[in-house]
Formats: sequence, C-alpha cells, structure tokens
Amino acid sequence: MAKKIKGPQMILANRLDDGRVVFFTKDGGWNSDTVFAAYGEGETLEALLVEADKSAANNLIVGTELIGATIDGDQAYPSHIKHIMQAKGPSVRADLGYQVSADWERR
Amino acid sequence: MYAYDKFDRSLVDIRVAEFRDQVERRVKGDLTEEEFRPIRLMNGLYLQLHAYMLRVAVPYGTMSGDQMRRLAHIARKYDKGYGHFTTRQNIQFNWPKLSETPDILAELADVEMHAIQTSGNCIRNVTSDQFAGATADEIADPRPYAELLRQWSSFHPEFSFLPRKFKFAITGADQDRAAVKWHDIGLIVRKNDAGEIGFEVIVGGGMGRTPVIGKTIREFLPEKDFLSYQEAILRVYNEQGRRDNKYKARIKILVEAMGAEEFARQVEVEWEKIKDSHIDVPQEEVARIQAFFQPPELANQDATSAVTSEFAKKNFIFASWLQNNTNAHKVQGYVNITISLKPHGGIPGDASAEQMDLVAALSDEYSQSEIRVSHEQNLILPHVALKDLPAIWADLDEAGLGTANVGLLTDMIVCPGLDYCALANARSIPIAQAITKRFDDMKRLQDIGPIKVKMSGCINACGHHHAGHIGILGVDRKGQEMYQLLLGGSGAEDATKAAILGPGFDEHGIVDALEKVVAVYLGVREDGEEFLSTYRRIGAQVFKEAVYDAA
Amino acid sequence: MTLLSLTGIESGPWITLLDGELPSEGDSIAVPIARLLEEGVSAFATAGALGAAVPTGTSFAELEEVVRSLTFVAIEFSAFGDGRGFSLAVRLRKDMGFKGEIRAVGPVMPDQAQFLLRSGFDSVEITDESRVGAFRVSLERFNEFYQTDYMGARSIAHARHGISQ
Ligand code: SF4
Repeated sequence: MAKKIKGPQMILANRLDDGRVVFFTKDGGWNSDTVFAAYGEGETLEALLVEADKSAANNLIVGTELIGATIDGDQAYPSHIKHIMQAKGPSVRADLGYQVSADWERR
Repeated sequence: MYAYDKFDRSLVDIRVAEFRDQVERRVKGDLTEEEFRPIRLMNGLYLQLHAYMLRVAVPYGTMSGDQMRRLAHIARKYDKGYGHFTTRQNIQFNWPKLSETPDILAELADVEMHAIQTSGNCIRNVTSDQFAGATADEIADPRPYAELLRQWSSFHPEFSFLPRKFKFAITGADQDRAAVKWHDIGLIVRKNDAGEIGFEVIVGGGMGRTPVIGKTIREFLPEKDFLSYQEAILRVYNEQGRRDNKYKARIKILVEAMGAEEFARQVEVEWEKIKDSHIDVPQEEVARIQAFFQPPELANQDATSAVTSEFAKKNFIFASWLQNNTNAHKVQGYVNITISLKPHGGIPGDASAEQMDLVAALSDEYSQSEIRVSHEQNLILPHVALKDLPAIWADLDEAGLGTANVGLLTDMIVCPGLDYCALANARSIPIAQAITKRFDDMKRLQDIGPIKVKMSGCINACGHHHAGHIGILGVDRKGQEMYQLLLGGSGAEDATKAAILGPGFDEHGIVDALEKVVAVYLGVREDGEEFLSTYRRIGAQVFKEAVYDAA
Repeated sequence: MTLLSLTGIESGPWITLLDGELPSEGDSIAVPIARLLEEGVSAFATAGALGAAVPTGTSFAELEEVVRSLTFVAIEFSAFGDGRGFSLAVRLRKDMGFKGEIRAVGPVMPDQAQFLLRSGFDSVEITDESRVGAFRVSLERFNEFYQTDYMGARSIAHARHGISQ
C-alpha cells in the first residue's frame, strides 16, 4: 500500500490490457469515469482495497494506488493535479485523448 | 543505410516471438508484474500516465522512407494517428494495447526496426549527429560505429541488468550536435598523427537530478579496440555502480565518487586483459558495415539555384526557412533540410500519420529515401538539391511542417511533461505553446537569433533543461505547477550547466520572465553576439534584476 | 526445488552451511564467502567438495583469494535485476580460469536463462517447480549472438566472415 494520505481516498489503477487508467467503482468494478468511483476513509477504504486487489490477483489490473479525493455530493474527484490529468486525459489533445474517444475505448 | 542480414533478421524475429510468449505468460499470471516490468521495458513498453507507451528505436536517428511509412501505419492502426519524436532520436506511441504490442513489433521487424532496449536498466539506443555522413565538418561518418555498438549492446548477457539506464552518443564532427558530453559515454571520432581513426572517450556525463559534464578518460582509442574498451567501462560500472539508490546509480555518480583518474585506471587495467580477446570485431566487419554508409551518388549541381533564390526574394517565410532550416552539405549544390516539428502553438516533436507519410514521400523523391531524427526533435531530409527547395517547402508548408524556426527561440526541446508522463511534476507542452504563440513573429525571431530553449516537466531532465541557453524546469509546489528558469547551459562542444536564476513562476509568469530575459539580451548584445555569448560575457545578475525587480 | 543444469556440468547436491555450523566429514558444502575469508579454507578441510556461497555484492578480488580451493561457486542473487551476478561469473571464468560449477541461486527469471549460460553459469536453482519448463524454453531461444563470450563462442560479427573459433 502506498504512503498514508489523510481524508477520503479513491483507488486508481491501470487495466492490464490497454494500460488505461481506471478507478475502482462503487459496484466493485473498474471504470475510467470518476462518476462511478468508490471512495472512503479508514475501515471502509481498507475494505474497498481488499476488493480492488482481487482484480490485480486476477491479472486484470496493475498498479493499484490510493489517491486523495475531493468529495462533491456523493461523487469523488481526484485532488492532485497528476490524478486530475489521469482522469481527464492529456490537456493538449482534447481531440485525441481518451476523454472523447469512445470508439477507441470499445475497440 | 544499414540493411539487416540473416543474423540481424533472425534475432529481431525471435525477439518478437519471445515477447509474444512473455505477454501471454503475463496475461495468464505466469509472470508477475514485477518480473514482467523489466521485460516489457526492454522491449520499449512503458506504463505511462494514461496508458501504455511504446518507444520505438530509430538507431542513431537514421531511417528510410519505408520505415517512416511503417511508423505512420502503426500510428493509424494501433494508436491514435500520431507519434512523438524524442531527444533520444526515437519515436513514442502513446496509446498501444499490451495485447497488440507483439503485432506492432512484428510490423516493425518487417521493415528492420525494433523497440529493443529503448528502456530499462540496459544500454539504450545509441544517438548520433543528425547530419552524420552528410556534413562538411566531419572526420568520419560515426554511424558505422554506432551500428557496431547497437549490435554489441543488444541482448548483452552481462550488461542487461545494469544499476541504471546507460546512454551512448557518438559524433564524427567538430561541431557537437549530439550532446556527447552529456551522456554516460560520449564518443568523438578523432584522427591521430598517423591519420588513423580512433575515438576520444568521455565518461560520466548526464542530466537528471545531478547534472554532470562528462570527462575525457582517453584521448585516443584505436578503432580496432573500440568495443573491448566499452566493455571494460561497462564491467567496472556494472560491478561498482550504486544499486541502493536509483538517483545515485548512474555512472556519473561512480565516476565522481572514484575520481575520473581512478575510474580510468580501473578501466585500463580491465581493458588490458580483454583487448585482444575477440570482443572486438574483425576488420572485415567494420568494412562491411561502413559499406552501408557510403555517401550517395549525387548528380552534379550548380553551387547556387536561380529558382530557389528567386522564390526566396518573393517569400519572406521561405527565405527565413532557407536560412534557418537548411545547412551545408559536403557536396556542392546540396543541403540538408531540417523539418521543424515545432509549429507555433503546436506540440513540440509530435507528427501525425499524414505528416509522416508526406515526409516519407518527400524523402523518396528528393533525399535518397533517407530521413533523420535529431535530438532536438526535428526531422531531417539529407542530400537535397538546392533547386528542389521551393517545391519541398511548399509541400511541407501545406502540411503544417513549413515553420522556419530551426535554431531559433521557438525551436524548443520539450519533454511530454504532465500531459503524458507519469513522473512529471508539471506540464511542459502548454508552456511551450504559450511561448511559441508569444513569439509568433518570424521577423522578431530572426532578430533574436540563435538561442536554445529547453524544457523538462521534472528533474529527470528529458527536455535537457540543464543544457539550454535558457532552460525551464517544471516543479510541483504544494500541488501547483511551477516553473524554474535557468540560464547559460550548452549541449554543444562548449558544454556548460545552466544555473537557476531565482524563484520559480507560475504558467504565465514563466513566459513573461522569458520575454524579459530576451529583452535584456537585445538591449546589451554587441554586434553579431548570440545570446549565450552575451550571457557568458555579462553574467546572470543583469538578467536577475530585470526578471525579479520589475515584478 | 529443482536444479536445472545449463551446461551438463553439475556437482550434485550440496549443503549450504549456516553460521557457526560445521560440516560432517565428506559432505559437499557451500560456505558463505565471508566465513571462508575469515576462517580460511583449511578450516573446512574435512569437507568433501568445497564451494562458496557468494552474494552478488562480493568483489571479484575477494573471491580470487579462495577460488583455487573451490569445486563450485553459488552466486546468490538478491533480486533478478542485480546484474552484478553476471559480471562475477564472467570474472570467475575469464580472470580466474575457474572450471568448476557456477550455480545461480535466488530470484532469477526464466527469461534470463541464456544470459546466465553465456555469462558462465552452469546451473540454476529453481524454487518454483512450475517454471522449469519456461527456463528450458528460454534456454533454447536464441542460437546466434552479437557478442563474443568468454566460454568460447565467437560473435555474429565473426561468423559473418567465417571465423568461428
Ligand atoms: S523530464 Fe520528467 S516529465 Fe519530462 S519526460 Fe522526463 S520524466 Fe517525464
């Protein structure tokens, strides 16, 4: 587990196949959209992490990482600029980053 | 250009099969991610900020039109239609899938390309002068020696798990366009009094967290001992380089700790033991490789071209392009063209599949199907007849490749930064875009003259900020992207380390600060004095006052 | 645990001596190099075959002090990425003319099999049995090499011009 961060956190990883950044979701899956992302603190978070790590054990995702989250209503967003970039895609290729490329996503 | 024989072909083919097998084992779980990581890295595959990234080698920056077309095809079929040329003269694709990477490697192998050792703690792709074999100021074409290094270092049984990555650069010219003093090993082709070819060997240069300019440990290494000497250096490094701290693991730290003299002594002791033990290749092999790099047969041309001069009179941008983007060839009536991948407001080093196809087509028509990549992230068409320039420029310009800024302020080296890189602290591309927009005026750029701006998104210095006349370094200050300004570096034969000017700036402040630095220079320069000379003459203080006091 | 021989040379099983432990007479033993250097080779004269257990961080100069009394050497990798082990094997063959078995111990990967063989190793101790197959496949992967090694194989560059020995 990564270094201790205070406050609410979400879980980020890469899918093994396409390397795409994904977030652990409330229904126990992974999604590139933070809308579905699970978050928590303390014991809730520990429990989430146990579930998330199962995907790593199944060779579906790699590099599980806990990241600081900002909560708005019942949705979590990454706090740090690096993770914001990961959620949004390259700021300089909004035309070609994954943020708009649903086709590529499904391929 | 070098062409594979059955041995080279068989090795890359087997390598592709091996990687296919490794990917399958990884997906099945037979290889852990920890084990797979160095394997994929040694095949050029990173897990980057957003997805995988594949770095394909362009050995010593030379490739053919067919190879460029294949890169375009890969960009289209397996990626998102573009690629990024790097300071290692390589190309990176930002969005490949793990499962498709073996297919990409097979497509590359088909045109005698690979991604072998473009990453990992091993000997990386050797870089060289982008004008090698086509420039007047050269003792010998360095590329045959770079090819010897490529082969010797590929799948080296002893040196595939070094303390850290290891980079060679080699040049054969007086003017250093390959930044050899900034490499783990830098080599300069020299001739001794007897007229024999040999090499000056420079060790322990490097950028990153601890910038160090390499030190010469041997003035003249005879050609016949070329590889055994490198092997001796690598062995001393592999045994004694630090492995406890990745920031102290590069050879520069070992050389500094031991002292260059002691390091050289240990290398010589080891080299004495191995120098005649067939580590070096037979003379016939050097000749065989050199035969691939014979200068092309070029038709006789006049030293000047009326078509070109006339067009230059009518078109200011073309005239600037002629001045900035072409340089002397060793044959009269020919030039080398540098195609700028730094359009104002664009992404430095990026090229679309269509642009790659165009460059390939132009190379077939005008440059013997030869293309080069420079460490300054531009593309070169060598051996081009002066008379063909207007036609070539028109085609380039239409495709957004006609920018006339080579060597000028907007021809910046820029690493991908936080837009793509997992290690980044700050974005670098948007800063480059803001700067090139601010200076989007060819007359002004011409007036400012030659100046090298180099920018990195973190301390790793892939954007060579330590070697920039003006360097910019992205840092993370409490989650905010900030930028430091450095002045006075050089990556050329007069290599120097740039020094930080003062406190950092935000994304707008850095552009203003750069502009103030330029204004100081314009105000105090003497006749014909370039930026770096002015800086060396007057020092940092005047710049510091202008940048910080007025604020 | 499986012992995979790369070259056919194999000293058979041995016991790696723990600190303070003494060998039974006639045993094949691997003694930690630090202990060998400290107590001297003669302290282990009653052993059968004498070997050294050598961490990758050992300098070849230290190894050289005792190498003449050794029948085999076990190079202990702390991690698969610790490339010093390869140079140690090269030194043993090239500088010390060591003819006995060199064994790789520790977390080496199947994908390193040919690197091990070509650096001078004779055998690998494989802890995960399921990997023996992958080791064997990897061992056969390439058949020509760009480098001349210290085991007698000349490089492709030599082969291209008909020089093989
Ligand atoms: S300098 Fe830093 S941010 Fe830029 S590419 Fe290198 S590691 Fe990434």
